[in-house]
Amino acid sequence: MSGFDFDVIQRSVWYLFRDGMTFTVTLTLMAMAGGIVFGTLLAMMRLASFQPLAWVAGAYVNLMRSVPLVLVIFWFFFLVPYIGAWVIGEKTPIKVGAFWSAVITFTMFEAAYYCEIMRAGIQSIARGQVAASLALGLNYWQTMGHIVLPQAFRNMVPVLLTQTIILFQDTSLVYVISATDFLGAAAKVANRDYRLVEMYSFVALVYFVISFAASYYVRSLQGRIAVVR
Amino acid sequence: MISVKNVSKWYGAFQVLADCSTEVQKGEVVVVCGPSGSGKSTLIKCVNALEPFQEGEILVDGISVGDPRTDLPKLRSRVGMVFQHFELFPHLTVTENLTLAQIKVLNRQKDAAVAKGLKLLERVDLSAHKDKFPGNLSGGQQQRVAIARALCMDPIAMLFDEPTSALDPEMINEVLDVMVELAQEGMTMMVVTHEMGFARKVAHRVIFMDSGRIVEDAPKEEFFGTPRSERAQLFLSKILQH
Repeated sequence: MSGFDFDVIQRSVWYLFRDGMTFTVTLTLMAMAGGIVFGTLLAMMRLASFQPLAWVAGAYVNLMRSVPLVLVIFWFFFLVPYIGAWVIGEKTPIKVGAFWSAVITFTMFEAAYYCEIMRAGIQSIARGQVAASLALGLNYWQTMGHIVLPQAFRNMVPVLLTQTIILFQDTSLVYVISATDFLGAAAKVANRDYRLVEMYSFVALVYFVISFAASYYVRSLQGRIAVVR
Repeated sequence: MISVKNVSKWYGAFQVLADCSTEVQKGEVVVVCGPSGSGKSTLIKCVNALEPFQEGEILVDGISVGDPRTDLPKLRSRVGMVFQHFELFPHLTVTENLTLAQIKVLNRQKDAAVAKGLKLLERVDLSAHKDKFPGNLSGGQQQRVAIARALCMDPIAMLFDEPTSALDPEMINEVLDVMVELAQEGMTMMVVTHEMGFARKVAHRVIFMDSGRIVEDAPKEEFFGTPRSERAQLFLSKILQH
């Protein structure tokens, strides 16, 4: 190990976490929150009895799940400024920046996956529950909001979190738009100091520890939160 | 109170209800029985529009159930329903089960809703369980909470869809007792059940269904005395021999 210099990690670790990991975690949490909300709406659309709604949501989900994530990141990075300008009626493309572009991209992309999870969750709730809620006079939105979604969400928390762990790893793909996430920050240091092996090994270790610990936590959660029937 | 006029329903090409007509007067208790698959549950679910029907008309307190302009949530909030599998909300406590619809549908204040809920919970003799979750109650207890939940809405009529079929034998009576009491107080009730003892005790009329048709619709004494149709005779002889 004589050729290696692990000191570089100690020198850059503060920068890696303060800039890089903050970006990664913020992006993950925002995309998770946005993705679950949007994904739940998509799931409700897919299950709607009004066919056009189901069709639109289905087409969206299938499209997102059929294209590589890197491509979507590129597309949104270059397109969002133009779409934004079109939406608010500006002539010149608006400035979005890598971070917000990434938040929007990951929200839209992950929503397709969260949608399928929530769809399974909604379908796992017995039809009798919906009947009982409607029979009491609650309308569709109240039935969804008070009866179906809380139970569906609770049943699906472990799967939703597992998907979020995948999202956490996938956020490293923002390197293609030169955003400085955890991996991006490490790459900068690695290239500057010519310490590629050391830095990338450290990055791999950090991703592994976080993801593994999170998966372990999810597994222990599974048994505790099930609704007693 | 409830009037069913020439109702027919199909699942695709399969006809589940064929030209069903009957009336339930205010304060009347009508038991609906028949072999499984005869359409009795479907019929009772048509009354509060949980199942749509293609032909005919159902009026509840003068309001047409099948009319697309009818405010269904409002209509349903006035008709209580009890299900075979209880269908309490497992993620809510007993008290929350009792108060949710009162607050969200009837816009009652939370205090008033809780007071009402606890009063009815006491009536079904389960006050001690108010903070438990449904999963921690026995089947009979759950069904009694479900009845209390429906009563919280001050319904003008109650529908029971095989309320005791999913219960262990020793729990059937605790539920039937509550239902008998309700009937004796003059509640308008439509009850799908095989409990002929209940029918003999409190029913005014018995409807017998077979293959989606109302084969017999007779006062209780007549039905148990001399059923006119062969099919009803056969059915009765099968379920009453023990």
